[in-house]
Order: sequence, then structure tokens, then C-alpha cells
Amino acid sequence: MLQCSDMTVLERQRARLKWQEEHFQQHQQESYFSELSGVFSSQTGHVQGFHQGGLMSCGGAAGGDSVLSDVMMTRQLKPDPGLETAWPELGKKVDMGAMGFGPCGYGNGQSFDMNQAISRTSSCPPAMAAVEAVEVKGNLEKMGLAVGRESFKKRKVEKLQNSKVVAEDDSKRIKASEEEEEESKITGPNTKKSSNNNKETSGDTSKENSKVSDVQKPDYIHVRARRGQATDSHSLAERVRREKISERMKYLQDLVPGCNKITGKAGMLDEIINYVQSLQRQVEFLSMKLATVNTRLDFDIDNLYGKDVFPSCTSNFSTVGNMPPELANHPPYVQFNPIQQVVSGCGVEMGINSSDMALRRTISASVLIPDASLLNTSCFTGMQQIQPSAAWDVELQNLYNVAFTGSIEGSDLKMEM
Amino acid sequence: MEGYMKEGRRVYPTEPRKIMQARFATKYLNYLLHALTNIGKPELSSTLDCCVNKEIDKMVRYEVDMALALSAEGFAWSHALKHRLRLNVNNNNHAGKSQSYLAHHDDHRTKMPVNHEPATKKLKGNPKRSGTEAAVEEEEEERLTYLRKLIPGGSGEMMVDDEILLSELGSYVTCLELQVNVLRSMLQLT
Repeated sequence: MLQCSDMTVLERQRARLKWQEEHFQQHQQESYFSELSGVFSSQTGHVQGFHQGGLMSCGGAAGGDSVLSDVMMTRQLKPDPGLETAWPELGKKVDMGAMGFGPCGYGNGQSFDMNQAISRTSSCPPAMAAVEAVEVKGNLEKMGLAVGRESFKKRKVEKLQNSKVVAEDDSKRIKASEEEEEESKITGPNTKKSSNNNKETSGDTSKENSKVSDVQKPDYIHVRARRGQATDSHSLAERVRREKISERMKYLQDLVPGCNKITGKAGMLDEIINYVQSLQRQVEFLSMKLATVNTRLDFDIDNLYGKDVFPSCTSNFSTVGNMPPELANHPPYVQFNPIQQVVSGCGVEMGINSSDMALRRTISASVLIPDASLLNTSCFTGMQQIQPSAAWDVELQNLYNVAFTGSIEGSDLKMEM
Repeated sequence: MEGYMKEGRRVYPTEPRKIMQARFATKYLNYLLHALTNIGKPELSSTLDCCVNKEIDKMVRYEVDMALALSAEGFAWSHALKHRLRLNVNNNNHAGKSQSYLAHHDDHRTKMPVNHEPATKKLKGNPKRSGTEAAVEEEEEERLTYLRKLIPGGSGEMMVDDEILLSELGSYVTCLELQVNVLRSMLQLT
């Protein structure tokens, strides 16, 4: 099965999975799939369809290889910044561990650093796959989607997690026993291995075999030594750390606009510094502007968004809530009703109508701003690009025009439309 | 495909990243509007405008930062920012009208040209010298320490690790961007 040294890890793993799944009964697979659909019922539907299709083909035919690889490669979503530390590891673990259950991470996963890692690393080491397959084989029986699902659901629910907490969890799992958390076996070794760019050839199969026996113990973090490099624990740990850091740097490179051409850590850090400073300056400037607006106005919100405005606006807002066709291209949305609840829950003592309208408009504006940019390019690659996005602009301008015509009388507002 | 629940016609983004952004924007705006109106109301009854302006600036700045810290719970930097803000408020309360908060920020601003210039000059002026590995690492260390000053809590014990620092940076940058967007749209409305 492992004849060709040029096979990618994905293909090998898939081949192995097929072999492994042949040993399981069909109903087991089906139960996995049904669980998967349960997992995905609350998740993105198209992802589910995508991956289930990938799974089906993976479990069965030989054509699954390309499908899954395509699926993997095309899911070039940006990692969630809040969960970025956890998700790169998680994403990698899930990928390298079991292709069949990779979509769990996808469905809930918020980091697709793995994809980037895959696309960046020239060739995933074939040896890794062999090692992982052994664990996968041992794990597949217990590889309850349940376990994975729980932890993934946990991550889904806690949207903004403390990165350190999650990192701690990961490290705990790495050291956890085999019975407790399936992920640990996959995560621990996979984290380390996946972060290594190996130059090994298939001639190292003997090394693979010797490493395989070590891998069974879940207590250690196993790192594959590079060919011709020192293998003592210190340098290995050092290398792992460096890999993690470079991974984070790559993420930051995507985040900060205009950093694609810059190679080298120092230059990147320079750019990051500049960007953070400019953002902080912008915040300061905007807050000062806000302060002046505060002082200039009679800050009486009821005048700003008077009640007479509402009858004319409600129709517009209901259309906004119902995904108007212009905005249909911008799928992400704001929830309007929860905002209302939040507002009343906070005990805000402004005129309820006015606060609602302010919140809705602002949030729709501010959230659609990033949405438009996300759709155009990677997120926030240029905040200047955000403004001339035609679709939402027109729609919102209509809203604002209608909203403000009624409130101009007697107020000092400058309407910048 | 988006999740579409029929009750109350609620629509929400199903991509997790956008959920986070929407939640951030919601929380931020909610907090900030509330805070700003509270600033606005008592000031109506105050007497002099000139000295009040600075106070208002400070208060608005405080609220802006607090909104950021509260809207992005769960990060080390947000925790540090909250802590710093509360510390400064306490200082202000105890010591009267101290400028400690703004001064703290101004330190960052003034340090910008002082600390940053030598680093870049070193890089651009002596490319050969920076070719050596030690020098490059030194520069990187310099920049990292500078970054630590920029990000709230960067010098604290939570972010001693470089990896953690970089991941916190990622979240901080994103939240700053979101914050700027929200502030801009607020200003567009008024």
C-alpha cells in the first residue's frame, strides 16, 4: 500500500482509512455519519454536505481521495482570531489524525491554518501518516465522534475563549491517557509532527517502524527529527516552538494588510508594529471626534431618532431583516431581535426606540462593513476599500436617508451620507 | 447557506468568525452608546465648556477602551486592559484629576519615535551587519519588546511566551479593526 513515496499524506491516510474501515461494520460507519449529521445540523449546511460527501467517498470508493483533498484544499477560511491558538493545533490534529473525522473540526472549526499549512509545506511527510495511522487504527473504535463532538461543541459555544486556557487544555490532552481523550493521542503527536517540515524520503520506513512503537505511549510529545539534524530533546522542543511561532507569524501576515511580500520575521514585526500603532491612533482620533460630537449636540437621543421616523423606517428595517436581495450576497448578518433584548436587558434608559434604531443602524453598518471586505478580499485587508462597496452602501443610504429626514428639524446634526 | 430561525425572524451568521464579529460589534456598540449618553447627560448641567471638554475627552476615551475590553472577553490583553482602566480610574478618583490614564497612553505615543527609529535605522543602515544571525535575532527581540509595550498586558506575566504574545496580537489587531469600524459607523450616523 505504501509503495509510492510521492503519495501525499492525505492520500495515504485515506488509503489507510479505507483499509481500516473495511474492518469495521458498515453500521458503525453509518452511525458515525448520522452523528456527523447531528453535529452539522447546527453548523453550516454546505460544509456538512461537502464533507459528508467527502466522507462517503472516502469510506467507500477510491475516488474519495481527490474529493477530500479538493475539499480540504478549498476550505481556505481564515482562522478565527479568538481561537487561533487552539484551532491551528486542533485543525491539524483533526486533519492528520483521521480524515473521516476531520470534518468535525471543519464544521465547528474556526481555524483552517491547517490548510494553509498544507499548502505551504511542500510535501507532508509520508512517515507521519504511517505513525498516525497506527494510532488512528487503535483509536478508530473508540473514536467516538461523541468525544470529538463534545469538545468541538464546547469550542463552538465558547466563542471567544481565552487562548491560554485552550492552550492549556491542549497540553493537558497531550498528556492525557489513552482511554480518556481520543484527541490526545492524535493531538499530541500530530501537533508536533505536523509542525515539522520533513525532508525524509520513503527510505525512512524503518525509522517509521521504530517510531511507531514509541508512539503508542500517550504520555510523550513525539517529534519527528529531521534528517541530519540533532535529535536531543532540547533542540526538538526548540524546533517545535519555532514552528509554532512561524505559524503565528503567518497568521499575522494574513491579518495585517500588505504583508504578503515581506519575508523575514523582523520586517513582519515592523509591519505589525506600524499597523497596530496606526490602528491605535485611529481609535484615539475617532474617540476624540466622538467626544466633540458629544459636546456639540444636545445629546438627547430622542431628538436624534424621533418617533415620527419610525413609521417610515419600519418597512425598510423589516426588509433588512429579511435579507434584501442587494444584501443577499452578504450572508453574514446581524440579529436584530437579540439586540433589542440586550438593550432592554441592560436597562438602558434612553428612549427604547431610539436606542434600537441607533444600534441597528450602526451595527448593520459596522458589521456589513467587515462583511463586504471579507467577501472582497481577506478580512480587513483594506479598510479604505470597505467604503465603496456598492451593494450595502445603497441599501443603507436609503435607510439612513429615510431615517434622518424626519429628525433634521431643530438639531445640529451633520448628516454625512 | 445561513441559519434562519423563524422565531422572531432572527438571522445570524453561521460562520463562526462572523458570529464573533457580530457579537463584538453588538456588545461594543451597546456598551458605548450607553456610556456615552451617560456622559452626555450630566454634562448638560455643567457650567464651563472649556475645562469640561478635556474631561469629556478623557471619559470618552475611557469608555471607548472599556468597551473594547468588555466586548472581547477571554483574551489576555482584554483582561489587562480592563485592569489598567480600572486602576487608572481608581487613581483618578483618589488623586483628583490625575492624568494617569492618558499619560500612560501618551507614553506609548512618545515612545514610538524614540524606540522605533533606531531599530529601523539599524536595519536599513547596516544591512551587512544585520546579516549575522545574532544581530537579526536581536532586532527581532527589540521589535518584540516594542510590541509588548503596544499591546495591553504585553509586559505582564501572561504574555512572557512568544507564541502567546503573537496569538494575542492576532486577536488584538482584529478587535482593534472591529472597534475602528464600529466607531466610524457611529460617527457616520451622527
